[in-house]
Amino acid sequence: MREKIEVAAARYPDQRSAIMPALLIAQKEHGHLPGPVLEEVADILGVERIWVYELATFYTLFRIEPVGVFHLQLCDNVSCMLRGSEDLLRHLEAVLGIKKDGTTLDGLFTLSTVECLGACEMAPVMQVGDDYHGGLDIARIDALLERLRAMTGQAIGADPATTTPPGE
Amino acid sequence: MTEPVLLRNVDMPDGHLLATYEAGGGYQALAKAVHEHTPDEIIDLVKKSNLRGRGGAGFPTGMKWSFVPKRAGKPKYLCCNADEGEPGTFKDRIIMERDPHQLIEGMAISGYAIGAETAYVYIRGEYALAIRRLEQALAEAHAKGYLGKRILGSDFNFTVHIHCGAGAYICGEETAMLDALEGKRAQPRLKPPFPAVEGLYASPTVINNVETLACVPHIVARGPDWFRGIGPDKSPGPKLYCLSGQVRKPGLYELPMGIPLRELVEDHAGGPLPGRKIKAVIPGGVSAPLIPERGLDVGMDFDSLAAAGSMLGSAGVIVIDDSTCMVKVATRIIEFFHHESCGKCTPCREGLNWVVKVLRRVEAGQGGPGDLEQLEALCKGIFGNTFCALGDGAAMGLRAALTHFEHEFVAHIEERRCPFH
Amino acid sequence: MVSITINEQTLEVEAGSTVLQAAERLGIDIPTFCYLKRLPALASCRMCLVEIEGQRRLQPACATAVIDGMVVRASTPLIEETRSSMLDMLLANHPLDCPICDKGGECELQDLVMAYGPRESRFRDAKRVFHSKDIRLSPVIIMNVNRCIQCQRCVRMCEEVVGAVALGTVEKGMDTAVTGFEGSLASCDQCGNCVEVCPVGALMSFPYRYKARPWDLAETDTVCPHCGTGCQLTVGTRKGEFMRVRSKQEHGVNRETLCVRGRFGLDFVGSRDRIKRPMVRRDGALVPVSWEEAADYLRRRLSAVEGKVAGGLASPRLPNEVLYQFQKVMRTVFRTNNIDCASRWSTPFDALGPLVASFYTRAPLEDVIGNDCVLVVGGNVTEENPVTEYLLRDCARRRQTGLLMLSARPSRLDADARTVVRVPPGGEAAGLAAVVACLVAPASQALPGDVPVDIGTPTGKLGATDGDGPDRVAAALLDSGSVTVLVSVDLLRLPLARAALQQINKLLRILRALGKDLAMQFLFDRANQLGAWDMGVLPTALPGLRAVADDAARATFERAWGAGIPSEPGADFETMLELCDGGRMGALYIVGSDPLMSYPDRKLVTRALGAVDLLIVQDAFLTDTVGLADVVLPAASYGEESGTFTNNEGRTQKVCKFREAVFEARGNLAILDFVAALRNQQLRSSTQGEIFDEMTQLVPAYQGLTLDGLGTDGAFTRSVPTPPADEFLASPPAVPNAGDRLMLITGNCLFHNGYLSERSAILNTVAADPYVEMSARDAAQLGLSDRDHVVVRSTQGELRAQLKVNRHFPRGLVFVPENYRDLRLNSLMRQGEYPCPVEVEKVHAAFDAAAGAAAAPENPGRGIAELPGSPP
Ligand SMILES: Cc1cc2nc3c(=O)[nH]c(=O)nc-3n(C[C@H](O)[C@H](O)[C@H](O)COP(=O)(O)O)c2cc1C
Ligand code: SF4
Ligand code: FES
Repeated sequence: MREKIEVAAARYPDQRSAIMPALLIAQKEHGHLPGPVLEEVADILGVERIWVYELATFYTLFRIEPVGVFHLQLCDNVSCMLRGSEDLLRHLEAVLGIKKDGTTLDGLFTLSTVECLGACEMAPVMQVGDDYHGGLDIARIDALLERLRAMTGQAIGADPATTTPPGE
Repeated sequence: MTEPVLLRNVDMPDGHLLATYEAGGGYQALAKAVHEHTPDEIIDLVKKSNLRGRGGAGFPTGMKWSFVPKRAGKPKYLCCNADEGEPGTFKDRIIMERDPHQLIEGMAISGYAIGAETAYVYIRGEYALAIRRLEQALAEAHAKGYLGKRILGSDFNFTVHIHCGAGAYICGEETAMLDALEGKRAQPRLKPPFPAVEGLYASPTVINNVETLACVPHIVARGPDWFRGIGPDKSPGPKLYCLSGQVRKPGLYELPMGIPLRELVEDHAGGPLPGRKIKAVIPGGVSAPLIPERGLDVGMDFDSLAAAGSMLGSAGVIVIDDSTCMVKVATRIIEFFHHESCGKCTPCREGLNWVVKVLRRVEAGQGGPGDLEQLEALCKGIFGNTFCALGDGAAMGLRAALTHFEHEFVAHIEERRCPFH
Repeated sequence: MVSITINEQTLEVEAGSTVLQAAERLGIDIPTFCYLKRLPALASCRMCLVEIEGQRRLQPACATAVIDGMVVRASTPLIEETRSSMLDMLLANHPLDCPICDKGGECELQDLVMAYGPRESRFRDAKRVFHSKDIRLSPVIIMNVNRCIQCQRCVRMCEEVVGAVALGTVEKGMDTAVTGFEGSLASCDQCGNCVEVCPVGALMSFPYRYKARPWDLAETDTVCPHCGTGCQLTVGTRKGEFMRVRSKQEHGVNRETLCVRGRFGLDFVGSRDRIKRPMVRRDGALVPVSWEEAADYLRRRLSAVEGKVAGGLASPRLPNEVLYQFQKVMRTVFRTNNIDCASRWSTPFDALGPLVASFYTRAPLEDVIGNDCVLVVGGNVTEENPVTEYLLRDCARRRQTGLLMLSARPSRLDADARTVVRVPPGGEAAGLAAVVACLVAPASQALPGDVPVDIGTPTGKLGATDGDGPDRVAAALLDSGSVTVLVSVDLLRLPLARAALQQINKLLRILRALGKDLAMQFLFDRANQLGAWDMGVLPTALPGLRAVADDAARATFERAWGAGIPSEPGADFETMLELCDGGRMGALYIVGSDPLMSYPDRKLVTRALGAVDLLIVQDAFLTDTVGLADVVLPAASYGEESGTFTNNEGRTQKVCKFREAVFEARGNLAILDFVAALRNQQLRSSTQGEIFDEMTQLVPAYQGLTLDGLGTDGAFTRSVPTPPADEFLASPPAVPNAGDRLMLITGNCLFHNGYLSERSAILNTVAADPYVEMSARDAAQLGLSDRDHVVVRSTQGELRAQLKVNRHFPRGLVFVPENYRDLRLNSLMRQGEYPCPVEVEKVHAAFDAAAGAAAAPENPGRGIAELPGSPP
């Protein structure tokens, strides 16, 4: 992590600029950003801890709390809403047995809604890991969940926290 | 204009590779620029083309570049605004995913024109594929000498770095983007000083949208007159329109500036979904006030839409049909702005919170007398008084919905329920 | 100048002024929240929007620069409506819990709502609630986020003024909250400036919490007793009880800032170890007696030592009037010039006198440090004079002043400096000499006649990392038209104090010869150190810094006082201790000072004070030194008597009484009268007002001052130049050669700077435990890590504390803060040996228990039989 952060920091004339890239690197490594990780980032860059904390909470992609193996991020902005994303949310909540912002008991799925993903041509859209899944309807959602479950086939039962989601 | 310009390569299977780009004449404009033109001549070409920024505000690009002091004694920076957060907009993503070299060439020419040696692409973090493609393209361009030291044998040096955003719409506001790049909470800065004079690291900085920069190689290659010949003279050029919502053929369309909105929606995008009628269209991302169906005969350019009380914005065209509750649309839009308010200024932060509370109530059939007047009053308190344009966009959007669809709001309050349910 | 019209009134203002500043000059009120006078505008609260002709939108007055001919309207129906609307929005989520809010009655939100707000709100939804219980960010700071209006004043104050960068803003939009890293401010400066600038009751002082309502407080404007910066502060008392301290935006060197000591460290006045009654030593033990009994006892003992030498030591924390009167008593009643005012360092007057006389700049710090460059020599201004540091940071960041730092101890201000020269412990004088050496060549070129050619260069090597530091400092000095030198009193702590002062003198003379516009001030760590010098609490100088040996000067005072003054210069405290130790001291009179704790050689002081025939201690507190006294006279503490202090700037300010003296304590002046009377003498002037008048007549620097004229901003004393002495050719000292040894230096930390701060219960809670600071490399080499328990050992003794690894520390430097009473830091040191060579090693767990026993306080010689001063 230290090396990667130092490489990223070399792109800027000021270490403070590298806090955002460093947090992205740290999150990739740790899955989320608990206090000690923030302290480490501040230490590597030699910047104030509070600056790191500020950014880790300001930007929505940074997570202070852990999430499931698959983070289902359903867009519910206008274009997706007009194409039925509300129904998809209700469906996801029902089949996963969780509410929005919850994580399934097996630690596999966390369900969130997000603002416009910039892919309205394929609305309704959901991002999982790095991948966008567009043109969704209930059948496609079910198939997607199936695929995701299958991907972790063997890994389930193992420690979910150590399973890297595809595309990350 | 039938032949695509900006979208020339996007449908090719390997449109994102350097070879494809070069095969179509890619990087020849850059060669022409550094070998045949002085930086000032490039600025002049762009001025003559009447290119206006595609990020939303429509500011003349050549003029923006000419504000950069010639001798600053400080490094100069170019920042590409690839934050594309405006709901309904996806044009920049498609360029970056499928034809990233077009952007890179545009950036290199722009950097040459303004005297910048370093550029940052501020790209929203969700765009994983675009980030990968752009990274790959940068590496290719470096290897081929289109970037780096002494580009194409000239004494122009230019490096492009990618800076990934992490989810905050406000980063699209150019000065907030600068704070984000400096590692601060992204909040808009006071102007003056303008970025062209004191921007990133207090150095002269130009910020341009992806599509704006992508236009630049074509202007250099084909000349400003060609560009000005497309669409209205004051607001010319090929334009990317993002169509989404309740329309038959959502997608990205390249058409001339100024094309009538009705033609865009009904002919090119196939009109409303089967059995539906169009009720309203948002012409330029949710910051742009909606236009009711009867107003669709407006030209899609900066000046015509402004005259019609809306704006071209990011050209994110969202179509809403008669099955949809406008109170709900308005609520969702204000919820978005409320969620994305950076929190800096009072009217945006507190005012939108109040608006959201009232709207949610009205939508749920729990509105009461005075609520609509209160919404009007809040719009008045917010509009024109916020620190940046985010708050204004929200207030304008709500006003348009209240003006054109007042009856739907009244119905919610009087019937104490949503008539669309 | 540009012209602006606001509400039909026209005014000329300086180019670059803002509309808000212009309006203020016209007396037109424009409401603000986010505006902070000393920082660039933020323009986020939108309270100050005004109409400007030709502009489509309303513009923020705080951030709009005046353009010539600008026409502004600041009170139109539209503006009234906009202000009301902003307030309405702010109130929508505000909890409106004013009845239980500490800020109620002095809340800017309340005030602006009264003046401009809506009379009623139509908000009828649920309010946002961050938390139901207030958040304790630190021992002294408590936060109610629900009340916060996001003006960001606190965060900007913390980062841009104080430089602590402890507070920040988390989340965004409506969720935005001000807090510290992970919700804690445990490791911030605790200066409370965030609390001061908070317009509402969001950030609050924990010690003051629920203690009083503003309208119940009696407020007294006075001066901070802690350091020489001399900040103005306002003490709030309720029924005579100390409640809190605030600072006012308009007053003093500090404006609205204070440091932790000023804001939270005044509760010492109510400390439990006040002396309640006079005490005398009977059968080896101190016993409480009445003032009459004390008088009898003292009269008897005084006549017994009549023929012997006497001496006096007074604290530079006492007011001018007390100090003036003290030296008068010593000179005329005890007939001695053995007088001193500092027990930690020497004041070589032969070097000091000419320096102060020819260079001390008695002018506002704000003006002095606006110069092209400011050289700060020695010490750690961040911790010793925090508010001075805020101003320096301001100049470096916003006024382009070039900061040059030369010291052994790193400080936070280094980050804002143009050049930092890190010298080895004790190497300040040599470092200065190196700078001087770099200046000689250019100076003699420019002015061949005036500058002595051969001044030599110091021998030895400065810190390895700073080989070219002195060159860079010299280059910066040469480059500047105006130069300010700020000298930490740390330099006077060195055995090389004289050499250090001589180098400063030399430096200033060369710079003057080069035509630089010069300023010089000391950075004292005692509130009235300059006053103490001015008042002649010195063995060799009379009030006004005139030499005792000067017959004319003596004659003036003899005439005024109607008594003779011995003509030979007296002994300084160091020499007095030797006199004591040799059994030659008859009476030693100590007022407000605790040398047993503060003199860097505890063994020597213990022995010396034990050997005095008659030790008189006059103090408000039960100090260690009191334990050795023969007679103890209970005095009023700070806050219990009025007087004046003269701060580092040479600004004389009123110190005001805000509570009654406790128990049988008497004012210091009354006690001096009492002592004089025992020798059948009556001091001519004896009230504070009379003494002040006498001072202004006899001390030239104070001429023309009047008590009434001091006001809340004080008044400046004048520099009175005297002909220079000729010690100019003093040769440079050698760089201390520590080799690989660790050298201990001591000094103030942020939370403690003397025996007053030590008695503040609040400071003691925030200051946590004493520590030993050293570089990361030294620590690593010794196998130590941060927070280890270590023992520091010298030839004289040892102490134990927690290790604090500081990555800015140079190798070889060990720092231990003074005034952690239990450490008995001065028992590690030996007179004349400073910095003190030490060894540091880890305390092994197994030894911990034994260590506890060994560290038990040593017996101070003659014990106190009972503790009559402490509460039952
Ligand atoms: C709230 C807000 C969000 C914005 N978001 C974007 C954006 O996502 N992408 C963009 O290019 N411009 C965005 N802009 C416009 C930019 O501030 C800026 O005008 C633009 O990047 C300039 O580039 P151009 O001149 O090439 O259009 C936004 C403006 C505001 C006020
Ligand atoms: S805590 Fe107070 S000073 Fe700080 S931002 Fe909030 S209201 Fe302002
Ligand atoms: S501060 Fe929020 S929109 Fe400007």
